[in-house]
Amino acid sequence: MTIDWIFANIGRISELTASHIFLTLVPTLLGLIVALPLGWWAHRRRGAYPVIVGAAGLLYTIPSLALFVLLPQVLGTKILDPLNVVVALTVYTVALLVRVVADGLSSVPIETVQAATAMGYRGWQRLWLVELPVAVPVIASGMRVAVVANVSIVTMAALLGIPQLGSLFTQGFQLRLFVPIITGIVLCLVLAVLLDLLLVWLNRALTPWRQKTVTS
Amino acid sequence: MINFDNVSKVYPDGTVAVDGLTLQAPTGKLTILIGPSGCGKTTSMRMINRLIEPSSGVISLDGTDTQSLNRVDLRRRIGYVIQNAGLFPHRTIVDNVAAMPRLLGTPKREARANAMELLERVGLNEKFANRYPWQLSGGQQQRVGVARALATDPPFLLMDEPFSAVDPIVRAQLQEEFLRLQREIGKTIVMVTHDIDEALKLGDQVAVLREGGHLAQVASPAHLLAHPADAFVADFVGTARGYRALGFVTADGTLGVDREPTVRVGDDAATATVGADGWALAVDESNIPQGWVQLGRLNGAQITESDINISGTVAKEFGNLRDMLNSALSSPSGRGVVVDERGVLVGTVSAEAIVAAIRTAKQEVLAS
Ligand SMILES: Nc1ncnc2c1ncn2[C@@H]1O[C@H](COP(=O)(O)OP(=O)(O)OP(=O)(O)O)[C@@H](O)[C@H]1O
Ligand SMILES: [Mg+2]
Repeated sequence: MTIDWIFANIGRISELTASHIFLTLVPTLLGLIVALPLGWWAHRRRGAYPVIVGAAGLLYTIPSLALFVLLPQVLGTKILDPLNVVVALTVYTVALLVRVVADGLSSVPIETVQAATAMGYRGWQRLWLVELPVAVPVIASGMRVAVVANVSIVTMAALLGIPQLGSLFTQGFQLRLFVPIITGIVLCLVLAVLLDLLLVWLNRALTPWRQKTVTS
Repeated sequence: MINFDNVSKVYPDGTVAVDGLTLQAPTGKLTILIGPSGCGKTTSMRMINRLIEPSSGVISLDGTDTQSLNRVDLRRRIGYVIQNAGLFPHRTIVDNVAAMPRLLGTPKREARANAMELLERVGLNEKFANRYPWQLSGGQQQRVGVARALATDPPFLLMDEPFSAVDPIVRAQLQEEFLRLQREIGKTIVMVTHDIDEALKLGDQVAVLREGGHLAQVASPAHLLAHPADAFVADFVGTARGYRALGFVTADGTLGVDREPTVRVGDDAATATVGADGWALAVDESNIPQGWVQLGRLNGAQITESDINISGTVAKEFGNLRDMLNSALSSPSGRGVVVDERGVLVGTVSAEAIVAAIRTAKQEVLAS
């Protein structure tokens, strides 16, 4: 009965997992892309930092379900459109990463930035070739938090009927079956751990220059 | 030439950091800015590459007003070295040096080859080339900083306390090497320091600033020591200025260098030639001085390494009288050791002979 259910539904479980990965990764990446300029701006302007970081923090307090329901009105999408989930999670990711990007840029040693300026790096050259690469460790640790949070928030979309691993929870409730629920939880956990490890690896690959004594 | 014409800087909070500075840093020469903390040295220097914008006055490079140049273009003509090197932590040493040439479009292979050459020139072993900055000592990082500033071969060089974050021995070594390098490359340099000995040792010309960015005096090191413009400058160059000034008087042929009998490790004490005072100079196979031994007080019948007193310094044959005097004063026998360019023994000189030479030099200066 128990294991049989998994085998009988293996095709659907795979589809749900794939869609879960998609709904997690796309907003995480989009969120980073939006957070980079905002974080840079918050880092540049002393006055902007508290405003931007404060506003971003507020965004994070909006309940996800409310956002899923509200967004179709704002975007003019259908309630079942996965785009709503993508946009909602992007908003959360931005909220989380703006501060991370700003703090990451502030973590670059002042002498390093000044040396680049004095050598004749243009503003964007300095940002792209010096500041961002040196900020990678801080940004990567923020990305780890964001991606794990997103794996779990995506499941809420099941309440709207958008298929992903969370759908296994709703299905389990309706059928009064434990197996789908446990399967969903385990897969979410595994996914979170794998994505986290992926980021740890990516960070290592991007920062071969870090002191090996520092544990992340 | 870098030219300051009545340059002032008032910070937004009202601090007058520099007030009406007029100063020339001649082409191919090293100009030192020195003065008490907060007197505006860094501010003056940073106005040259416009990291700080002057409030009034004109700074020009080889006659071109810096305000008429694009800031980035201006900075690319000026190498910049700061106290803690400010290396890029995410680049290897060789790529730190190659960074600017790469940015300007030099192919990677060529930029790296040039960088390796520069690293060698600043005295850094090639084994460090592929390390990251944190894996180097402060002195090594500083060398990389100098190499990086020279990578695009800019005609001008700005250095803000480049050697102050390292211990005195490494500092002296870096200074020596830098002097040698500057003799080869002949850049137009402005260097900030708070160390008067460094200023006198490195500077072709020294500008002493006082609080509020007023220029107290600008002159060659020897002139500054001999003719301080006022009590502030006299105070600043220090009470040891008489002794320091000897550093600018070279020993000419009139200084009597005496022949000194020598001994070697392994010699029998009984057969060794000794001066009347019992001290003998130990040398190695190439006749390079090792130190002094007191033959009456050997540990055994033969001279060993442990018998050698190494407290004495050596002076170059045509070096300055300060080194000569120092060698005589530090020598346990009272005789200063004089060597040639290769470090080979020429002879010894007594403190009395040096003092006589100083007296002669003084009279010549007064007569001229
Ligand atoms: N950004 C700034 N805003 C306001 N005042 C400043 C600023 N930077 C420097 N100052 C002030 O200007 C004066 C000169 O500073 P500067 O850094 O040029 O001194 P300095 O001679 O380099 O000193 P030090 O030997 O300590 O490095 C000081 O009184 C300093 O407090
Ligand atoms: Mg300073």
